[in-house]
Amino acid sequence: MPLHKLWVLAFRDLGRNRRRTLLTMTAVALGLALLMVMNSFIAGIMEDSLQNSIKLRTGHLQLRAPSYSEDERSLQWGDLLLDPENLIAQAATLDEVKAATPVLWANGILATVNESAGLQVYGIDPDSPVYDPIRTALVNGSFITPDDRSGILIGERLATMLGLQVGSKVSLTIVDSEGQADEAIFSIVGMFATGIPTYDESAVLMPLTKAQGLTNTNRRVSAVVLLLNDQQATSEVVAAFRSSGLQVLTWQDLNQFFIQTMQTGMAFYVLLDIIVMLIVAVIIANTLLMSVFERIREMGILSALGMKGRHLMQMMLLEAASLSLAGIAIGLGLGLAAVAYLATAGIDFGSSVASSGGDAIALGSTIYARFVPDVYVGLSLATLLITLVAALYPAWYAARLEPVAALREA
Amino acid sequence: MASAVQLEHVSKRYRIGTVETIALDKVDLTIAEGEFTALVGPSGSGKTTLLQLIGCLDKPDEGTVRLQGQDITRFSANQRADLRRSRIGFIFQFFALIPVLTAYENVELPLLLSGVKPAERRTRVHALLKAVGLEDRARHRPDQLSGGQQQRVAIARALGPQPLLVLADEPTANLDTANGQQAMEIMQKLNQDTGTAFIFATHDPRVINYARRVVTLTDGRVIEDSALAEHAV
Ligand SMILES: Nc1ncnc2c1ncn2[C@@H]1O[C@H](COP(=O)(O)OP(=O)(O)OP(=O)(O)O)[C@@H](O)[C@H]1O
Ligand SMILES: [Mg+2]
Repeated sequence: MPLHKLWVLAFRDLGRNRRRTLLTMTAVALGLALLMVMNSFIAGIMEDSLQNSIKLRTGHLQLRAPSYSEDERSLQWGDLLLDPENLIAQAATLDEVKAATPVLWANGILATVNESAGLQVYGIDPDSPVYDPIRTALVNGSFITPDDRSGILIGERLATMLGLQVGSKVSLTIVDSEGQADEAIFSIVGMFATGIPTYDESAVLMPLTKAQGLTNTNRRVSAVVLLLNDQQATSEVVAAFRSSGLQVLTWQDLNQFFIQTMQTGMAFYVLLDIIVMLIVAVIIANTLLMSVFERIREMGILSALGMKGRHLMQMMLLEAASLSLAGIAIGLGLGLAAVAYLATAGIDFGSSVASSGGDAIALGSTIYARFVPDVYVGLSLATLLITLVAALYPAWYAARLEPVAALREA
Repeated sequence: MASAVQLEHVSKRYRIGTVETIALDKVDLTIAEGEFTALVGPSGSGKTTLLQLIGCLDKPDEGTVRLQGQDITRFSANQRADLRRSRIGFIFQFFALIPVLTAYENVELPLLLSGVKPAERRTRVHALLKAVGLEDRARHRPDQLSGGQQQRVAIARALGPQPLLVLADEPTANLDTANGQQAMEIMQKLNQDTGTAFIFATHDPRVINYARRVVTLTDGRVIEDSALAEHAV
């Protein structure tokens, strides 16, 4: 029997109990739409956090002295880079590199009269375009200049926590390269609000030369941070510095903890995907089984007309496929609409949720969904596949009916 | 005439729990091509069971069934489906149309199963609907047709693949006198025009009146088999 005629039969069968068909289709559609939204959010969280982290903290590439260890934030001369200008000049010759800038990191303690907080001190070149995101995020005061002798930038959240304003004086303590705690008084010249709570609570920015002076590191830096025009070009730039004898760390290396955490989290979401899919499968199987039970005598008639078990099975599978495809079409529509909305409006989860990710995850407090077409295709195919698998039992049941017994059915 | 169906010592038993019913008991019966035969007998005498064996819907427990001389007793489910598709038409007491298909599509269905080409299919379906007086009802669904009309669509459907024989199990039981008579006349005419053999299982004296041969069953045995002379209706 030609397949398209079986398809007609299957399709009309779905019209018999419109309400049931609609409800089943709705279940498929909602299931798919839910998964699309969920996966789009996760993609949004992953990608946004990663980009935030690259933008504000790690850059795409870092060049460090061979012995530098990020955990220790060592200020020992041997662990630092002496001549960053050469490296920066070399980086500037590469087309892929957008900007290269030296940075000196140190752990510090900021103290006011009443309170103190542990911080990360960034000695930076304030003129570098690498810090454009922070320049844009400035909410109070002005940006630091290279020759600022006592000016620092802090996050607005930290300022609020410690009750500080622009112009406030604070004491900053840093343990220097000799292990001596050095204290200096600074004045807050500006505040930024990047939307990344962990950054806004813990970063203190000052001019590189000032930081070098405070830490006794002379003209040494912790790293040279590179920002690329295209993230995909990372490996080419890595190759260019391979012979430098330095640690060349990519954004993957630098965000390793984050990426691993996310991958672990993904396993949980895959489980959620599977559960939703299974629920959809059970609904489909139930609908088809009911429709087989209601039509046993009719199957007997079809069988008397010479239809084989195989045809009846195909018919049921076509019914499942129609049901599923219609549900998938609706689900894609719903899902895309929802994702489109959430990709622009986002959902504000509040900063407490964002901070809960800890230091390694640069989560914004508003999370935006992200379009992930390949994931939608995958989910749609998985939905189709699982509904067909769910239809196997009803289809097999129909195929193995004895014509005589089926005809006797009232 | 050549024999269409031959049953030799055919027995069929049903078992429910420990109770065994002998539905057919060593039946010998030959149906020739082009016959118009009534199968009568009290309720439970085995008429339906016999039609199911002749129609390759079921297998006997004992004995041999031959279709046009071919032993089909041990045929598989798929082989029997092929035989039904190509050589047997069925008409049931309930009108047995597929509710989601129109009259036209119901008649077309067995032709689709047999792979008849579209042009040929159209011609045959129209001719059959005309023969049962329902050309103007082609686009109607079964629920838009009267019982009599539905049964006539079923007759047209049974004849579509030009079968060797049509088996009708109490075809008039749910029809009033006028509709019953109309259905019988149509079948009689189709029998004469196409040479397809018809076998009816029936209690209906009006149907028996049309038959040219009457086989009487009691307790699963053929107790009488009388060929009737051509007689006026
Ligand atoms: N599936 C079955 N299971 C058990 N017993 C059955 C089954 N089908 C038929 N029988 C029994 O077999 C015998 C013959 O039944 P059959 O249906 O062939 O009779 P029938 O002559 O068609 O009767 P009726 O005129 O009432 O339709 C009956 O005793 C019936 O109860
Ligand atoms: Mg019967």
